Amino acid sequence: MSIEKTWKDIDEQSDEALAALLKPRVLERLQSKNPLATIKKNMLINNIWAILIAAGYLLVIIYFPFWQTRLCIGFLFLYTCWAIYSTLQEYNNIKKSSPGNSVLEEMERHYVNISKWIKMQLRMGIIIYPISAAGGFMLGGTVGSGKSVDQIMAKPVMWLALFIVTAILVPCAFYLAKYLSHRAFGRHLELLKRNIDDLKEKI
Amino acid sequence: MSETAFLEAIKNSQGIIYKLVGLYASDAEERKDLYQEVLLQSWKAWPTFRGESKFSTWLYRICLNTILTQKRKVNRIDYLESLEPVEHLATDAANHKKEEIERLRRAIRSLPETDRAIISMHLDGYDNGEIADVLGISTNHVAVKLHRCKQQLANLLKL
Repeated sequence: MSIEKTWKDIDEQSDEALAALLKPRVLERLQSKNPLATIKKNMLINNIWAILIAAGYLLVIIYFPFWQTRLCIGFLFLYTCWAIYSTLQEYNNIKKSSPGNSVLEEMERHYVNISKWIKMQLRMGIIIYPISAAGGFMLGGTVGSGKSVDQIMAKPVMWLALFIVTAILVPCAFYLAKYLSHRAFGRHLELLKRNIDDLKEKI
Repeated sequence: MSETAFLEAIKNSQGIIYKLVGLYASDAEERKDLYQEVLLQSWKAWPTFRGESKFSTWLYRICLNTILTQKRKVNRIDYLESLEPVEHLATDAANHKKEEIERLRRAIRSLPETDRAIISMHLDGYDNGEIADVLGISTNHVAVKLHRCKQQLANLLKL
Protein backbone atom coordinates (compact mmCIF):
# COMPACT_ATOMS: atom_id res chain seq x y z
CA MET A 1 0.00 0.00 0.00
CA SER A 2 1.38 3.43 -0.89
CA ILE A 3 2.14 6.08 1.69
CA GLU A 4 -0.29 8.49 -0.01
CA LYS A 5 -3.11 5.93 0.13
CA THR A 6 -2.43 5.13 3.80
CA TRP A 7 -2.34 8.85 4.62
CA LYS A 8 -5.72 9.35 2.92
CA ASP A 9 -7.13 6.46 4.93
CA ILE A 10 -6.56 8.46 8.10
CA ASP A 11 -9.36 10.79 6.95
CA GLU A 12 -11.81 7.94 7.55
CA GLN A 13 -10.81 7.79 11.21
CA SER A 14 -12.18 10.14 13.85
CA ASP A 15 -11.64 11.03 17.46
CA GLU A 16 -14.45 11.41 19.99
CA ALA A 17 -12.45 14.05 21.88
CA LEU A 18 -12.44 16.24 18.77
CA ALA A 19 -16.05 15.50 17.84
CA ALA A 20 -17.14 16.53 21.36
CA LEU A 21 -15.68 20.00 20.78
CA LEU A 22 -17.43 20.56 17.47
CA LYS A 23 -20.77 21.43 19.02
CA PRO A 24 -22.54 24.77 19.44
CA ARG A 25 -21.73 26.77 22.58
CA VAL A 26 -18.60 24.72 23.35
CA LEU A 27 -16.28 27.29 21.75
CA GLU A 28 -17.18 30.06 24.19
CA ARG A 29 -16.14 27.86 27.13
CA LEU A 30 -12.66 27.11 25.78
CA GLN A 31 -9.69 28.64 27.62
CA SER A 32 -6.37 29.30 25.90
CA LYS A 33 -3.21 27.68 27.26
CA ASN A 34 -1.05 29.48 24.71
CA PRO A 35 2.28 30.40 26.41
CA LEU A 36 2.21 34.05 25.29
CA ALA A 37 -1.41 34.44 26.42
CA THR A 38 -0.36 33.00 29.80
CA ILE A 39 2.59 35.42 30.03
CA LYS A 40 0.34 38.37 29.20
CA LYS A 41 -2.09 37.30 31.91
CA ASN A 42 0.82 36.96 34.36
CA MET A 43 2.03 40.45 33.43
CA LEU A 44 -1.33 41.92 34.37
CA ILE A 45 -1.46 39.99 37.66
CA ASN A 46 2.16 41.02 38.44
CA ASN A 47 1.29 44.65 37.84
CA ILE A 48 -1.70 44.52 40.18
CA TRP A 49 0.57 43.05 42.87
CA ALA A 50 3.27 45.62 42.08
CA ILE A 51 0.80 48.48 42.61
CA LEU A 52 -0.23 47.03 45.98
CA ILE A 53 3.42 46.51 46.96
CA ALA A 54 4.32 50.07 45.91
CA ALA A 55 1.49 51.36 48.13
CA GLY A 56 2.97 49.27 50.98
CA TYR A 57 6.41 50.83 50.36
CA LEU A 58 4.88 54.28 50.64
CA LEU A 59 3.39 53.38 54.04
CA VAL A 60 6.77 52.10 55.25
CA ILE A 61 8.47 55.31 54.07
CA ILE A 62 5.90 57.41 55.92
CA TYR A 63 5.80 55.42 59.17
CA PHE A 64 9.48 54.50 59.63
CA PRO A 65 11.51 57.70 59.99
CA PHE A 66 14.98 56.19 59.48
CA TRP A 67 16.93 57.50 56.50
CA GLN A 68 18.61 54.11 55.85
CA THR A 69 15.29 52.26 55.47
CA ARG A 70 13.79 55.21 53.61
CA LEU A 71 16.69 55.13 51.17
CA CYS A 72 16.34 51.38 50.50
CA ILE A 73 12.55 51.34 50.38
CA GLY A 74 12.47 54.60 48.41
CA PHE A 75 14.72 53.03 45.81
CA LEU A 76 12.49 49.94 45.73
CA PHE A 77 9.43 52.17 45.34
CA LEU A 78 10.95 53.97 42.35
CA TYR A 79 12.13 50.70 40.85
CA THR A 80 8.66 49.15 41.29
CA CYS A 81 7.07 52.14 39.53
CA TRP A 82 9.53 51.74 36.66
CA ALA A 83 8.85 47.98 36.58
CA ILE A 84 5.08 48.61 36.35
CA TYR A 85 5.68 50.97 33.42
CA SER A 86 8.08 48.66 31.58
CA THR A 87 5.79 45.64 32.13
CA LEU A 88 2.93 47.61 30.58
CA GLN A 89 5.16 48.48 27.62
CA GLU A 90 6.17 44.83 27.19
CA TYR A 91 2.51 43.82 27.49
CA ASN A 92 1.63 46.10 24.59
CA ASN A 93 4.65 44.92 22.60
CA ILE A 94 3.40 41.33 22.60
CA LYS A 95 1.24 41.75 19.54
CA LYS A 96 -1.64 39.48 18.81
CA SER A 97 -0.87 36.60 16.50
CA SER A 98 -1.77 37.27 12.89
CA PRO A 99 -3.44 34.36 11.06
CA GLY A 100 -1.32 35.30 8.04
CA ASN A 101 1.96 34.67 9.89
CA SER A 102 4.10 31.85 8.58
CA VAL A 103 5.10 29.06 10.97
CA LEU A 104 8.65 30.47 11.14
CA GLU A 105 7.43 34.00 11.96
CA GLU A 106 5.09 32.68 14.62
CA MET A 107 7.76 30.53 16.28
CA GLU A 108 10.19 33.48 16.29
CA ARG A 109 7.53 35.74 17.80
CA HIS A 110 7.05 33.25 20.64
CA TYR A 111 10.77 32.66 21.13
CA VAL A 112 11.67 36.37 21.29
CA ASN A 113 8.81 37.36 23.60
CA ILE A 114 9.27 34.47 26.04
CA SER A 115 13.04 35.10 26.20
CA LYS A 116 12.41 38.81 26.88
CA TRP A 117 10.00 37.95 29.67
CA ILE A 118 12.56 35.64 31.33
CA LYS A 119 15.31 38.28 31.04
CA MET A 120 12.99 40.86 32.54
CA GLN A 121 12.27 38.60 35.51
CA LEU A 122 15.98 37.94 36.12
CA ARG A 123 16.93 41.61 35.74
CA MET A 124 14.28 42.58 38.26
CA GLY A 125 15.60 39.89 40.57
CA ILE A 126 19.19 41.11 40.45
CA ILE A 127 18.20 44.67 41.39
CA ILE A 128 15.32 43.95 43.76
CA TYR A 129 16.84 41.16 45.87
CA PRO A 130 19.95 42.92 47.32
CA ILE A 131 18.08 46.09 48.19
CA SER A 132 15.02 44.38 49.59
CA ALA A 133 17.28 42.04 51.61
CA ALA A 134 19.13 45.03 53.12
CA GLY A 135 15.93 47.04 53.66
CA GLY A 136 14.12 44.06 55.14
CA PHE A 137 17.03 43.31 57.47
CA MET A 138 17.11 46.85 58.87
CA LEU A 139 13.34 47.16 59.04
CA GLY A 140 13.04 43.81 60.81
CA GLY A 141 15.71 44.90 63.29
CA THR A 142 13.97 48.17 64.15
CA VAL A 143 10.54 46.60 64.47
CA GLY A 144 11.85 43.67 66.55
CA SER A 145 14.07 45.63 68.93
CA GLY A 146 12.26 48.97 69.04
CA LYS A 147 15.63 50.73 68.41
CA SER A 148 16.59 53.05 65.57
CA VAL A 149 18.58 51.80 62.57
CA ASP A 150 21.60 53.85 63.72
CA GLN A 151 21.54 52.11 67.12
CA ILE A 152 21.18 48.66 65.55
CA MET A 153 23.89 49.17 62.95
CA ALA A 154 26.31 50.67 65.48
CA LYS A 155 27.54 47.17 66.32
CA PRO A 156 30.05 45.80 63.73
CA VAL A 157 28.51 42.33 64.11
CA MET A 158 25.29 43.68 62.59
CA TRP A 159 27.14 44.79 59.47
CA LEU A 160 28.60 41.31 59.23
CA ALA A 161 25.12 39.81 59.70
CA LEU A 162 23.73 42.14 57.01
CA PHE A 163 26.49 41.08 54.66
CA ILE A 164 25.86 37.36 55.34
CA VAL A 165 22.08 37.70 54.95
CA THR A 166 22.53 39.53 51.64
CA ALA A 167 25.26 37.20 50.42
CA ILE A 168 23.08 34.14 51.08
CA LEU A 169 19.65 35.44 50.09
CA VAL A 170 20.60 37.18 46.86
CA PRO A 171 22.14 34.22 44.98
CA CYS A 172 19.50 31.86 46.43
CA ALA A 173 16.65 34.05 45.20
CA PHE A 174 18.34 34.73 41.86
CA TYR A 175 18.99 31.05 41.14
CA LEU A 176 15.50 30.15 42.32
CA ALA A 177 14.05 32.66 39.82
CA LYS A 178 16.33 31.25 37.11
CA TYR A 179 15.35 27.67 37.97
CA LEU A 180 11.63 28.49 37.96
CA SER A 181 11.87 30.26 34.59
CA HIS A 182 13.76 27.32 33.15
CA ARG A 183 11.25 24.88 34.58
CA ALA A 184 8.35 26.86 33.15
CA PHE A 185 9.75 27.61 29.70
CA GLY A 186 13.20 26.00 29.34
CA ARG A 187 12.25 22.97 27.29
CA HIS A 188 9.68 24.90 25.33
CA LEU A 189 12.31 27.48 24.33
CA GLU A 190 14.81 24.75 23.40
CA LEU A 191 12.23 23.11 21.16
CA LEU A 192 11.26 26.42 19.55
CA LYS A 193 14.94 27.23 18.93
CA ARG A 194 15.55 23.80 17.41
CA ASN A 195 12.55 24.15 15.09
CA ILE A 196 13.52 27.71 14.09
CA ASP A 197 17.09 26.54 13.34
CA ASP A 198 15.70 23.59 11.36
CA LEU A 199 13.69 25.93 9.14
CA LYS A 200 16.58 28.38 8.79
CA GLU A 201 19.10 25.62 8.07
CA LYS A 202 21.40 26.50 5.17
CA ILE A 203 21.02 24.13 2.22
CA MET B 1 -19.90 34.98 10.37
CA SER B 2 -21.78 32.61 12.62
CA GLU B 3 -20.62 29.85 14.90
CA THR B 4 -22.70 27.38 12.90
CA ALA B 5 -20.91 28.27 9.65
CA PHE B 6 -17.55 27.98 11.41
CA LEU B 7 -18.37 24.58 12.91
CA GLU B 8 -19.63 23.37 9.55
CA ALA B 9 -16.39 24.41 7.84
CA ILE B 10 -14.28 22.82 10.59
CA LYS B 11 -16.29 19.58 10.48
CA ASN B 12 -15.62 19.32 6.75
CA SER B 13 -11.87 19.72 7.33
CA GLN B 14 -11.52 18.10 10.74
CA GLY B 15 -9.23 15.46 9.21
CA ILE B 16 -6.48 18.11 9.09
CA ILE B 17 -6.75 18.78 12.83
CA TYR B 18 -6.99 15.09 13.64
CA LYS B 19 -3.96 14.17 11.52
CA LEU B 20 -1.72 17.04 12.61
CA VAL B 21 -2.49 16.76 16.32
CA GLY B 22 -1.87 13.01 16.06
CA LEU B 23 1.63 13.74 14.73
CA TYR B 24 2.66 15.98 17.61
CA ALA B 25 0.71 15.05 20.76
CA SER B 26 2.37 12.66 23.20
CA ASP B 27 -0.75 11.31 24.88
CA ALA B 28 -4.55 11.58 25.01
CA GLU B 29 -4.48 14.50 27.44
CA GLU B 30 -2.14 16.51 25.24
CA ARG B 31 -4.19 15.62 22.18
CA LYS B 32 -7.30 17.03 23.85
CA ASP B 33 -5.44 20.21 24.85
CA LEU B 34 -4.17 20.70 21.31
CA TYR B 35 -7.63 20.15 19.80
CA GLN B 36 -8.99 22.83 22.13
CA GLU B 37 -6.22 25.29 21.39
CA VAL B 38 -6.45 24.78 17.61
CA LEU B 39 -10.22 25.26 17.68
CA LEU B 40 -9.95 28.35 19.87
CA GLN B 41 -7.27 29.96 17.68
CA SER B 42 -9.23 29.11 14.51
CA TRP B 43 -12.39 30.55 16.00
CA LYS B 44 -10.55 33.77 16.97
CA ALA B 45 -9.08 34.04 13.46
CA TRP B 46 -12.34 33.09 11.68
CA PRO B 47 -13.44 36.72 11.09
CA THR B 48 -10.22 37.27 9.11
CA PHE B 49 -10.92 34.38 6.73
CA ARG B 50 -11.94 36.05 3.48
CA GLY B 51 -11.93 33.02 1.23
CA GLU B 52 -8.89 34.22 -0.74
CA SER B 53 -7.18 30.92 -0.02
CA LYS B 54 -8.76 27.50 0.42
CA PHE B 55 -10.25 26.97 3.90
CA SER B 56 -8.09 23.85 4.29
CA THR B 57 -4.88 25.85 3.62
CA TRP B 58 -5.96 28.53 6.09
CA LEU B 59 -6.71 25.85 8.69
CA TYR B 60 -3.40 24.09 8.02
CA ARG B 61 -1.51 27.30 8.77
CA ILE B 62 -3.41 27.93 12.00
CA CYS B 63 -3.02 24.31 13.11
CA LEU B 64 0.75 24.31 12.56
CA ASN B 65 1.23 27.75 14.12
CA THR B 66 -0.75 26.69 17.18
CA ILE B 67 0.75 23.24 17.62
CA LEU B 68 4.37 24.25 17.10
CA THR B 69 4.18 27.17 19.53
CA GLN B 70 2.27 25.30 22.23
CA LYS B 71 4.11 23.91 25.26
CA ARG B 72 4.24 20.17 24.75
CA LYS B 73 5.60 17.17 26.61
CA VAL B 74 8.75 15.33 25.61
CA ASN B 75 8.10 12.61 23.06
CA ARG B 76 9.36 9.24 24.18
CA ILE B 77 8.65 6.54 21.66
CA ASP B 78 10.73 3.55 20.73
CA TYR B 79 10.40 4.12 17.02
CA LEU B 80 12.50 1.30 15.63
CA GLU B 81 10.66 -1.43 17.49
CA SER B 82 7.24 0.01 16.83
CA LEU B 83 7.83 0.25 13.09
CA GLU B 84 8.24 -3.50 12.59
CA PRO B 85 5.32 -4.81 10.50
CA VAL B 86 2.90 -6.84 12.61
CA GLU B 87 1.30 -8.93 9.90
CA HIS B 88 0.31 -11.76 12.22
CA LEU B 89 -2.26 -9.46 13.80
CA ALA B 90 -3.78 -8.39 10.53
CA THR B 91 -6.65 -10.84 10.44
CA ASP B 92 -8.78 -8.81 8.06
CA ALA B 93 -8.54 -5.85 5.71
CA ALA B 94 -9.79 -3.32 8.30
CA ASN B 95 -7.19 -4.39 10.83
CA HIS B 96 -4.48 -4.36 8.20
CA LYS B 97 -5.45 -0.81 7.24
CA LYS B 98 -5.32 0.29 10.88
CA GLU B 99 -1.88 -1.20 11.30
CA GLU B 100 -0.60 0.49 8.15
CA ILE B 101 -1.94 3.82 9.38
CA GLU B 102 -0.29 3.32 12.75
CA ARG B 103 3.05 2.39 11.16
CA LEU B 104 2.96 5.44 8.90
CA ARG B 105 2.02 7.73 11.78
CA ARG B 106 4.87 6.40 13.91
CA ALA B 107 7.31 6.73 11.04
CA ILE B 108 6.34 10.37 10.48
CA ARG B 109 6.48 11.04 14.22
CA SER B 110 10.08 9.85 14.22
CA LEU B 111 11.02 12.73 11.88
CA PRO B 112 12.05 16.17 13.20
CA GLU B 113 9.01 18.35 14.02
CA THR B 114 9.36 20.72 11.06
CA ASP B 115 9.78 17.81 8.65
CA ARG B 116 6.52 16.32 9.92
CA ALA B 117 4.77 19.52 8.82
CA ILE B 118 6.38 19.34 5.37
CA ILE B 119 5.60 15.69 4.72
CA SER B 120 2.01 15.96 5.96
CA MET B 121 1.30 18.94 3.69
CA HIS B 122 2.93 17.11 0.79
CA LEU B 123 0.85 13.99 1.41
CA ASP B 124 -2.26 16.16 1.54
CA GLY B 125 -1.52 17.36 -1.98
CA TYR B 126 0.04 20.79 -1.41
CA ASP B 127 2.78 21.81 -3.84
CA ASN B 128 6.20 23.03 -2.70
CA GLY B 129 5.24 26.70 -3.18
CA GLU B 130 2.23 26.38 -0.89
CA ILE B 131 4.27 24.51 1.73
CA ALA B 132 7.00 27.19 1.54
CA ASP B 133 4.42 29.94 2.01
CA VAL B 134 2.89 28.32 5.09
CA LEU B 135 6.27 27.57 6.69
CA GLY B 136 7.98 30.84 5.73
CA ILE B 137 10.93 29.28 3.87
CA SER B 138 12.02 29.11 0.22
CA THR B 139 10.59 26.64 -2.28
CA ASN B 140 14.09 25.22 -2.86
CA HIS B 141 14.48 24.60 0.83
CA VAL B 142 11.16 22.74 0.88
CA ALA B 143 12.24 20.62 -2.09
CA VAL B 144 15.51 19.61 -0.40
CA LYS B 145 13.84 18.86 2.90
CA LEU B 146 11.03 16.94 1.24
CA HIS B 147 13.50 14.78 -0.65
CA ARG B 148 15.26 13.98 2.65
CA CYS B 149 11.95 13.25 4.40
CA LYS B 150 10.86 10.84 1.67
CA GLN B 151 14.16 8.98 1.88
CA GLN B 152 13.93 8.72 5.66
CA LEU B 153 10.33 7.53 5.48
CA ALA B 154 11.18 4.93 2.85
CA ASN B 155 14.00 3.64 5.06
CA LEU B 156 11.81 3.55 8.13
CA LEU B 157 8.98 1.76 6.35
CA LYS B 158 11.41 -0.34 4.28
CA LEU B 159 9.59 0.40 1.04
